[in-house]
Amino acid sequence: MKVTRRDLLVWSAGAAAGLVVTPVPWKILDDVSIWSQNWPWIPQPAKGPVEVKQSACTLCPNGCGLRVRMAGGCPVGLSGVNTNPVSRGALCPLGFGAHQLNWHPRRLRNVKHRGNISSWSEASAAFAKAAREGPIVIVDGHPGRSASSVLENFAEKWGGGYRVAMGPETRSLAPYELWSGVPATSLGYDLENTQTIVSFGAPLLDGWGIPGRFPRLWAERAASMNDPQLRIVQADPSLSRTAARAWQWLQVREGSESALAAGLVRALLEQNLVPAHGAIPLATISEAANETGLSADRIRELARTIVAKPPVLAVSPDFNPAVAALNVVLGAVGARGGIVRSSDRTKKYSSVAGAISNVRAVVIDSSVPWDFAAKSDAEVFRFAAWDGGSSKGDWLLPAPGFLEESTDISTPPAYPVETYAVAANLAKPTFEVQTAARFLANLDASAGTPETILHSRCEQLFRSRSGTLYGQTITPMTEIASTQELEKHLWDGAVWVGERCSAKLACELKEWPSASPSSRAGNWTQPWLAPVLPPLASKLYIESNLRGTPGRTV
Amino acid sequence: MSARYGMVIDLDRCIGCGSCMVACAAENNVPALQQATVRTGLTPIVVRTVSNGQEGAARRETFIPIMCMHCEHDTPCVKVCPQQAVEVDRATGIVMQMPQRCLGCRYCMTACPYHARYFNWWDPAWPAGMEKSLNPGIAVRMRGVVEKCNLCHARLHTAKEKAAAAAKREIDPTDYVPACVEACPTSAIHFGNLADANDPVAKESRSPEAFRLLARLGTEPKVYYKSKEAWVRDLAETNSAPRPEVKHG
Amino acid sequence: MASRVLTDSRWIARGESRTSFSRFLLWLAPWTALLLVGIYAAFLCLYHGLNQTNMDNRFAFGLWIFLDLGIIALGAGAFFTGFLVYILKRVELKPILNTAVVVGFICYSGAVAILMIDVGQPLRAWFTFWHPNTHSMLTEVTFCISCYLLVLCLEYIPILLRNPQLRRLPSFLVFDHQLHRLIPVLAAVGAMLSFFHQGSLGGLYGVLRGRPFAFRSGILIWPSTFFLFILSAIASGPSFLMLVTAAVEKITGRKLVANEIFRRLALISGVLLGIYVAAKSIDTLIWLNITSPSEGFAPWQFYIHKPFGTPILFAEIVLFGLLPAFLLTFRATASRRGWLLCAAAMACAGVLLNRFVLTVQTLALPTLPFDDFLQYTPSWQEVASFAGVIAYGVIVYSLSYRYLPMFGSSKGEHADVSGN
Repeated sequence: MKVTRRDLLVWSAGAAAGLVVTPVPWKILDDVSIWSQNWPWIPQPAKGPVEVKQSACTLCPNGCGLRVRMAGGCPVGLSGVNTNPVSRGALCPLGFGAHQLNWHPRRLRNVKHRGNISSWSEASAAFAKAAREGPIVIVDGHPGRSASSVLENFAEKWGGGYRVAMGPETRSLAPYELWSGVPATSLGYDLENTQTIVSFGAPLLDGWGIPGRFPRLWAERAASMNDPQLRIVQADPSLSRTAARAWQWLQVREGSESALAAGLVRALLEQNLVPAHGAIPLATISEAANETGLSADRIRELARTIVAKPPVLAVSPDFNPAVAALNVVLGAVGARGGIVRSSDRTKKYSSVAGAISNVRAVVIDSSVPWDFAAKSDAEVFRFAAWDGGSSKGDWLLPAPGFLEESTDISTPPAYPVETYAVAANLAKPTFEVQTAARFLANLDASAGTPETILHSRCEQLFRSRSGTLYGQTITPMTEIASTQELEKHLWDGAVWVGERCSAKLACELKEWPSASPSSRAGNWTQPWLAPVLPPLASKLYIESNLRGTPGRTV
Repeated sequence: MSARYGMVIDLDRCIGCGSCMVACAAENNVPALQQATVRTGLTPIVVRTVSNGQEGAARRETFIPIMCMHCEHDTPCVKVCPQQAVEVDRATGIVMQMPQRCLGCRYCMTACPYHARYFNWWDPAWPAGMEKSLNPGIAVRMRGVVEKCNLCHARLHTAKEKAAAAAKREIDPTDYVPACVEACPTSAIHFGNLADANDPVAKESRSPEAFRLLARLGTEPKVYYKSKEAWVRDLAETNSAPRPEVKHG
Repeated sequence: MASRVLTDSRWIARGESRTSFSRFLLWLAPWTALLLVGIYAAFLCLYHGLNQTNMDNRFAFGLWIFLDLGIIALGAGAFFTGFLVYILKRVELKPILNTAVVVGFICYSGAVAILMIDVGQPLRAWFTFWHPNTHSMLTEVTFCISCYLLVLCLEYIPILLRNPQLRRLPSFLVFDHQLHRLIPVLAAVGAMLSFFHQGSLGGLYGVLRGRPFAFRSGILIWPSTFFLFILSAIASGPSFLMLVTAAVEKITGRKLVANEIFRRLALISGVLLGIYVAAKSIDTLIWLNITSPSEGFAPWQFYIHKPFGTPILFAEIVLFGLLPAFLLTFRATASRRGWLLCAAAMACAGVLLNRFVLTVQTLALPTLPFDDFLQYTPSWQEVASFAGVIAYGVIVYSLSYRYLPMFGSSKGEHADVSGN
């Protein structure tokens, strides 16, 4: 048979027309669209059952109650625990994305010695050598943990120092430590019982203290109320987030907080609004007015306003003796709604402020904020889960990441009662990590291990029989039958809250404190300890106009 | 019974912390992309800062979380989608976006008066291993499609499953709470059923302090705002603020 | 042998003189280069996604929507000339019909190509046919644009088949003959499709209640922009045809079309432009005084953002509307080639400006009281794909001009486009 060109054309046209009525083109179209929905390079979430665990956040010393959704052995979602009386169901914005931190590209996966990859054995050997050669200093960011005890014990045994990097809230309590002898870590602000707060730039609603504490309190007692039961007078140079929501905003000049405190004290005393006692500032009201940019009358009026609704409490964002002195004059120290003792512990910690000299090595725990750089020429062993860049130590030692370490959490900074909680290691690191405590225990087991110390703390707590356990239910400690039961509750995410401390607190202020350089806590990322931010923080910093560029690497 | 889920956001309580934004992104497997900017990021809920335009001591600011308003009537995005990738769920009133159906023409984005719709300009990507931290049950959206807030519809689904397992017809309202509502530290976002006259949120939406943005367009948005301050409420009524300065993206 | 390679005379109609093949290739070379750059840019957009553009969540439509709306408006000469010739029997316009069809084909196919690059998931474009939302203007646009492109292809084929080499295939001749009988029907269908298509493109923005600058009340389901787009398209289409023809005449150095046809086109363009300007003015007044205030927007607020001030409104309606309408209509100016082309260019600029204002200005303007006025600068990929479409148009037109009868010139054999 001879095939003509015409036959061929007709055949082709017929085939093309016929193809349309077959499923072929439609199936191809369908497949193509399904393929475009499931491109192989699109990550897919894990399948499988979701389990809910309760724990505590270890990003900063506040230890907020954490409800962790787990799938495939990994945390896949975080939220707050409503039954936790300390964090009250809230988390900070960074906390909501913290479960992604462990895969952060800047995760520290290898031991690094001056930028080069090294090994644990080399690091161990180097440290053992240094520790034998001379004194060492150990820096801790969360004092009060079982791990902290290991660090402390080790330092004591090896003739070194144990220093603590305090957060700004604790630093703001330091003047009272000077005047009363009670350590700042045993002090707290009794915000729950105060009615007027004069904030000298403290970012009360913006990451100051426990995220669920003050914002919740404010929401209940002040927000959208015509006559708030909690009045915030915010002195701030610009309209900060707290100023925007405050009952009154005082626009003062940058760095004039101490002058304002002094002016207020003069105004309080001149108008006989407080009983005259203690030191009197040298500066006059008009000098304060000049410095702050407020009028003298405004300062006098302010003095009347703040005492109108007692108890009244002054809060500074960081170390500020003038503001502390104002509290003394106001009678807020040791009083309900003021500065109170959270614990009868009298042990003071030495701060890391200042140079560390004449030591052979410095060990920095992973709880110390990445910003901290030891002012020392000693060999620095720095534990960190993430490499925040611009190396802050000779040795970078990979520490457990978020929820990868079993640890305990003691009283949050500036909290008025003692608390205790435990965070279980819900996630498993895929490479070798060590905590500073474990690393030191390897060298000298007599310093104890965090596990044994945690256990003995629970025993102590059980024996004290004071306080209440907040878990699935609220259980007074008197109803807990054994240490084992207590430990079980704690490992299941319960938090122990102690009773109010009855120990006395009194400050003797002989003379008005000399002006110290004004320090501002500034952005709320300050107490944040990790060297990196959770990737989702990009929503706050890069993908929206909500917040300016953070001080740290994202 | 058909519900009409909606919100009343008390702006006097919002402290602009951004917890809602992060919680929302984590819940819905929204990627954190390094390339994204203010104008190209995926922020199903975004907190905007608004001022009264004054400077100095007279300045006032407030924070407004903006998300899909779930317009009830003449829903602008539903009307324009050429291939029915957007619909208003009759049972819930939630404006649903079907990413598998979307061709990425972005007509809905130009139609939305609230700019509450976001385009996946990039392939969704996470640093190696981080996909293990993704929320199970929420499909990751592919590049080239539009997405937006669906009031954490997956949580509604879970609540329904729970109710069905317990042989109940109605879900327990406490089982269905969107991530942003749950995350808000000051409880500024109130979520509920506007169709239920006894629902506290329905009552709150009728308060004289409540208002809706661009309500005058007649689209019946189901997200209400609330404020005691008149200048904030005026935002609903004022025209585009006369700010001729040009912002470069 | 070499000389045979370098000549294409067999493909050129007998009796037509065309420039040498090498000169023609030289002419094509830069356009081809531009097209290749465009194709590369398009590839980047398809492969990496639309992050290659500078569009963003608020400027969700960028340069491409302006390009689409613009070239489709200019391409309106095709359907409108067909409409005039076949439906209204204005046979005197027949000589430019082929050019009109080719220009229309270029504009529409270019628009579809750009559209496919600028959607996020082009593989799913067919969903619109499978799950159409009949309430969406974009559905109407998609159906009309694809159907009309099909019609234009069918209209283009007979022109293609007039190539001397293709004519040698007997089956093509039969096909050609059959197709020719269909052409008037196609022209009618095309006219209807294109009317709707132009209209629905106008409706695209006119229905956007959430964009008060673009939103218009209307008649039945169509906002006023629906009708304004049709009017402005058919007004500027003939002007664009004049510009194209004049450009070809200039480049080839030949007289291709009788002055009479130019004047006829000018009159059509001018009168329609006049009607459009009147309608647009009424529409603007209604929008300023009724539509916008009733939605709660003070209309002058839309004009406070530089450079989108009221001068743009003036330019759109008076400078590039009323003025060319006069110039095109009056014999004194329309019979002078310089004035005529200037007026035609102004008319085209007017319709482009209208499309620009409706798309770009609409998106730049804030709607929420705390929105900012936004600026957007297209990325090189967007500009390159835009330029690629223009290069594609020039190439297709050049090839068509060289190998196909584009103008029913004085030589009788090319005048019969109805096919006998």
